[in-house]
Amino acid sequence: MTNGARQNEMANGNRRLKGQNRIRLLGIGFSLFFGAIAIQLGQLTLLHHQPAQIAELAGQEPRQPRPDIVDRNGVVMATDVAVFSLFIDPRKVIDVDEAIELLTANISDLDAKGLRERLKQPGRAFVWLKRQVGPDERDAIYNLGIPGVGFVEDRKRVYPLARLAAHTVGYVDVDTKGIAGIEKFLDDQGAIYTASLNEPTTHTTEPAQLSLDMRVQQAVTDEVAKAVTKFRAKSGGGIILDIETGEIIALASLPDFNPNAEDKHLTSDQQNKLTSGVYELGSVIKAVTFAMALDYGTANLSSHFSTGAPLQIGKFRIHDLHSHAEQSMEEVFTNSSNIGTAKMALQVGLDNHMEFLKRVGLLDRLVTEVPENAKPLLPHNWSRLSSATAAFGHGFAVQPLQGLSVIADLINGGMAVQPTFLKRNKEEAQALAHRIVKPETSATMRYLFRANVQKGTGEFADVIGYRVGGKTGTAEKVEHGRYVKDKVLASFIGAFPMDQPKYAILVMLDEPQAAPGTHGFSTAGWNAVPTSAAIIERVAPLLGVEPKFTDEDLAKLAKQNKKKEG
Amino acid sequence: MFKLINAALVICVLISAFFLYSLEHATRGFERNIAKTEKQIIDEREKIKLLNAEWTSLTRPERIQHLAEEQLHLKNLQAQQFVPLAEIGAKVPQTPPIKLEAQNADPIGNMLEKLQ
Repeated sequence: MTNGARQNEMANGNRRLKGQNRIRLLGIGFSLFFGAIAIQLGQLTLLHHQPAQIAELAGQEPRQPRPDIVDRNGVVMATDVAVFSLFIDPRKVIDVDEAIELLTANISDLDAKGLRERLKQPGRAFVWLKRQVGPDERDAIYNLGIPGVGFVEDRKRVYPLARLAAHTVGYVDVDTKGIAGIEKFLDDQGAIYTASLNEPTTHTTEPAQLSLDMRVQQAVTDEVAKAVTKFRAKSGGGIILDIETGEIIALASLPDFNPNAEDKHLTSDQQNKLTSGVYELGSVIKAVTFAMALDYGTANLSSHFSTGAPLQIGKFRIHDLHSHAEQSMEEVFTNSSNIGTAKMALQVGLDNHMEFLKRVGLLDRLVTEVPENAKPLLPHNWSRLSSATAAFGHGFAVQPLQGLSVIADLINGGMAVQPTFLKRNKEEAQALAHRIVKPETSATMRYLFRANVQKGTGEFADVIGYRVGGKTGTAEKVEHGRYVKDKVLASFIGAFPMDQPKYAILVMLDEPQAAPGTHGFSTAGWNAVPTSAAIIERVAPLLGVEPKFTDEDLAKLAKQNKKKEG
Repeated sequence: MFKLINAALVICVLISAFFLYSLEHATRGFERNIAKTEKQIIDEREKIKLLNAEWTSLTRPERIQHLAEEQLHLKNLQAQQFVPLAEIGAKVPQTPPIKLEAQNADPIGNMLEKLQ
């Protein structure tokens, strides 16, 4: 081997080494490049999920459906159903006459002449056949096999219970946006509540559960409707309120309306008078004055008031319907004496009176979930006279629901509970409540309410077994600034069972007339009170109120049965 | 040597490509199934909603009240009709007031027949 050959070999080796480096570099470059492609490929095909595509395939709308509205027992009050709007593309129709014949045979109330004209119009690409049909009808028309027929899916809000509780539920406009009642609440003030019902993972929505009970609602609506007819009243209303939780179990205002109707054209008569109207409630407000006097300690059950002569304040005189020389506090309540109650308010004093009205919430607007609420109408400047008349419910007007809620607070033990249309339990209510009067005051109020039904103006409300208590009110209405004698607002606010009050009731009749059996009277004792009794008799078993009978009750029942038999 | 490795790699690529493709194909199938099932769920939910609304409309208290009064001649429940559990023994009559078996009758069935 020569030196040259070795050198050559060495050079060769060097050359090979040089080439190997280059190949190695290339190899690394290529493997990096293909590695990146492989990773990307794996990511795209195996790991990358496209839920949007799935939703698209399923034809699902990404937006959350509007929540259903259900009552406290889950009865559907408002729901969305899928409806279909059918259309036809005239350019694709081969035989116009045949198509029209088939369509008119299968679609009721189709305007055949109009359709023929529109189908024959040149250049027209779209004609509605029928809006908002159900899935069965859609299939029937679709299966006719007429070319050019198509449909678009639409949502429609329906109210299966129709008129029942329509004022509370409200209704929506054509774009399913709530414009009244709870429907409006879901879109406006209650938007956060509505959002809390959403379950975005499954694209479903929990129903909004109200405090109303539809069975009770029907009993109240039915009895108030009967009373409105019997006493030829302009309108009427009834509320049942759970006084511990503040839940409104039933609220009926008549005349009502059907939320399913396309054109509602609501008159002012059909609005919810119990929250969007304010009324001088009259004598039922006396209960507030009594609670005030008891709570300030200016009067107690052994106090007596001289009520023989009219009470003169300035130029104004306060009269009583029935004159008594002197009455005890209980008699002032059961005889509903204006003079006695006014004197009670004057003893408390103007400032204290106003402070108390403010404390119980009669001076502020009551705001609940239902957006239709009215501000109280108050005197421009409070004087001794306005304090004296306010004592028996004249000179200031509040929502009837507000009046009921305040009186419920006075007898539930003295805790103010905000009334609500949404389901709530006792613990939640207690966390929100605050004390307005002493428990002893509340106990005395319970006694007075029960006494008034046992021997006072509320006698006809005494449904034997259910221990009803309450206060009547017959307020003359103001027309052109004067009180009119023959136009009254008759009302009854009560509670049952009185030994441990659980439910409060309000019945209100606007301008009731005398009817057979009322001896020519149109005062609350003859119309609103018996109506309340009829309601309580029907709803107490539904609400789980256990009847209890004293010996006196049993004797009364035996007498009634004898009368029936004889 | 290199040839052998290259051939093995090519086979590997082919196998993995086939595996990847079939996997993706299966996945697509599953996805289609999911979508189909989801669509079915939505349709079923929609049907449930419609039936619920129909049921509520048919059992609305107003209608039930009317039927109870017209067809069954039922009256409002009165407080004195409640009997405490302790006294229930005393209230049960010795002989049943209506002997269905003796009459061999089905009053509800009869009423339904009459309605039809």
